[in-house]
Amino acid sequence: MTGMFQIHRRSFLAGAAALGGGLVLPHAPLLAQAPKRGGTLRMSVDQAAAKLNPLLTRVNPEYLLAELLYSSLTRLDLNMAAAPDLAESWSNSADLTEWTFKLRKGVVFHDGSPCTSADVVATFEAILDPKTASPARQNIGPVEKVTAADETTVVFKLTGPYADLPVALAYTNAKIVPAAVIKQGLARLDREAVGTGPFKLVSFEPERQVVVERNPNYYDKARPYLDRVQIVVYPDPSAEVSALIAGDTDLMLNTVPTEFARLQKAAGVKALRQPSGQFCNVNMACDKPPFNDARVRQALALTIDRAAMVNFVTEGYGTPGNDTPLNKAYRFWSDLPLKKPDIAAAKKLLADAGHAKGLDLTLIASDRPGVRTQLAVATREMAKPAGFNINVQTMPHATYLDQVWKKGSFYIGFYNMQPTADAIFALLYTSNAAWNETRWNNAAFDKLVGEARTTVDEARRRQLYAEAQKLMHAEVPSMIPVFFDLLAAQRDYVQGYQLHPRGAVFRLDYVSLGDGAPKRG
Amino acid sequence: MSLTFLLRRGGLMVYTLAVVSLVVFGITQVLPADAAVMMLGENATPEALAAVRERLGLDQPVIVQYGRWLAGVLRGDFGFSLRTGQKVAPVMLEALGRSLLLAALSIGLMLLIAVPLGIVAAVRRGRLADLVVSLMSYVGVSLPEFVTATLAVLLLADWLQLLPATGYVPPTEDPVRGLKHLVLPVLTVSVILVAHVSRMVRSELVDVLHADYIRAARLKGLDARTVLFKHALRNALLPAITIVALDVGYLLGGIIVVEEIFALPGVGRQLIVAIQNRDLPAIQAGALIMAATYSAVNFLADIAYAALDKRIQYE
Repeated sequence: MTGMFQIHRRSFLAGAAALGGGLVLPHAPLLAQAPKRGGTLRMSVDQAAAKLNPLLTRVNPEYLLAELLYSSLTRLDLNMAAAPDLAESWSNSADLTEWTFKLRKGVVFHDGSPCTSADVVATFEAILDPKTASPARQNIGPVEKVTAADETTVVFKLTGPYADLPVALAYTNAKIVPAAVIKQGLARLDREAVGTGPFKLVSFEPERQVVVERNPNYYDKARPYLDRVQIVVYPDPSAEVSALIAGDTDLMLNTVPTEFARLQKAAGVKALRQPSGQFCNVNMACDKPPFNDARVRQALALTIDRAAMVNFVTEGYGTPGNDTPLNKAYRFWSDLPLKKPDIAAAKKLLADAGHAKGLDLTLIASDRPGVRTQLAVATREMAKPAGFNINVQTMPHATYLDQVWKKGSFYIGFYNMQPTADAIFALLYTSNAAWNETRWNNAAFDKLVGEARTTVDEARRRQLYAEAQKLMHAEVPSMIPVFFDLLAAQRDYVQGYQLHPRGAVFRLDYVSLGDGAPKRG
Repeated sequence: MSLTFLLRRGGLMVYTLAVVSLVVFGITQVLPADAAVMMLGENATPEALAAVRERLGLDQPVIVQYGRWLAGVLRGDFGFSLRTGQKVAPVMLEALGRSLLLAALSIGLMLLIAVPLGIVAAVRRGRLADLVVSLMSYVGVSLPEFVTATLAVLLLADWLQLLPATGYVPPTEDPVRGLKHLVLPVLTVSVILVAHVSRMVRSELVDVLHADYIRAARLKGLDARTVLFKHALRNALLPAITIVALDVGYLLGGIIVVEEIFALPGVGRQLIVAIQNRDLPAIQAGALIMAATYSAVNFLADIAYAALDKRIQYE
């Protein structure tokens, strides 16, 4: 039972880190005042939470709603470690291929039916069924089979050893739904919510407002503190900020860099900023000319002034990237020397690769989000002196998804932070990656990542991931010049809210309203 | 106006709607990407795409899809949104209600402002009042909606803090808050409309005031007020009705920017979201609802014409 010990030690470390090594209360809000019960929180989002079915959500407002209404086996704490949700504790076999999760007793769904191991098994069977088309299928790790040992014990059998399973099971789409509903057909979850989450659905009018109220049967007797949450849609980013500044809303899910200064100046408003692993990159097809020659990719990487890129693309609210998808926000980030622009060296590499006269390329950027175009234009300008003649082509997101994404050979990508190094590598860069956009297919890299995912020893894992990052840094499967900070804002009286670096985790059950909060109907 | 005329107009409307539905269906087939691609986004695997297409019936031949949709419509069932899984018709009708509320209030306010402005400008043609009105119309026409809307929010909500900045509260839920939230969007839209209509009223009135029958009325010894309001205005206002009818179309689909800024989910915004997501049942329902409203309003305008001008007869 080495796994048990490991989990406790990790959450101890996480809690200790959060409180500066003082008290061991992993979830205590960092504010002095004790959380007050009651009140309605009005939160604004920039697009509708259109999908109510938690297995099929795909954008942040939908993740938020699913998190309010449903529970997972585990959830991510602020340090990206797995914390208990419906699973109270877990343990693993010595070879990391079998994991056992103990469920909480007495948990009930919103309709009053009990939540047991049968529901967990049915949920994961639905997720693994390609017909369900749940994004969780590619993101919960190498799960082969899920079985119930008894009413409160679930066993995950994996196709290979995997050390990150508890974190992977906290995936946004891996929410537990009733076995009975799955049997009747999941379409029912498009219109109603039957979860075990801290809140229950009151009304669902996606383009305007979604309302949830406190679930009196939530497994945690203390939380949630709020009576109600209203989620309102403001499609225009400036209007959304105006609403918060005017006091019409209490909290916004996220905002854009161009509005952030206005929020920082506003009275009664606290602007929130959190460095994150969210990034924009330039994808290059490593299996086709000209990018099958690593020197072309290295040359392009050497033309980029990364500090200038941070200023231009993120308005300064970001951090420079080093052509690996990990940054400081990840546990296994390794600090490599930051690449500096060197046009002479880039020219030489390009000439060595047979493009002494320059190289004509078309770089494609989807119009959503707008930063993709900014990155494309900046890349064009910075790469020009070295002989890259880049033609930037923007297109509607629908056309991009249909015709370019995963197929094109030179285009701009945009990704949320993943909970672990393994998750982002296995999503984008290993040969069997779910979205193997670069077709880098590097055997040495695959071996390092594969070994790390089966290694429990922290120091050894760190070393393996450091080598993997070094390889990417040198070979540039894709160019990653910037990481974005997550930006948002709240009114002063909102307590216990912290921007989560993952970007898709919100934890509103820890939020309460302090003095000065307005009464909302 | 005979019964046959009404029937013929009604039949023509149904025909128009049938053509609209076919054309919209055809266009969505040509667009890149389908609802399955948009729904799965970057999580699309070939098997997931196939599963979703099968579930939504997108794997069927186009003719079959259209036939199924048409059969549903004839039964009064517009189907379920591919994106949200909700019934399409109630969502679109509710959005239409919001758009019509905004349109009606804006047109009402616009008429209250634009007609007097047009009259003043025509009567005092070439003088300062005319210049001021013309200048205002030019500014109103040339400023894009998002500028007008942003200025209105900045001035009345951010600085003076008289009104809520943005957001929509149904007046049925809370009449006072609901109306407060409507003031800014209505103001913004009216400013744009005033520009069209006041210029139209002015130029028509100027023409009419030069007509022989007006000179005759003046020579007959009628006072200027009677000539203006009883004889001239009635004829000068006729073209304004056409403009207003056209504006209704614009207000339903064209003011999506205003709808976005004020977070007022009208039918224009619903339709754009539906198109972006290739949500076919929602696109169809939205397009039909808008086409039907537009036809109905134009029909009403024709009737108003006939009622105001006895010389016009519809056979």
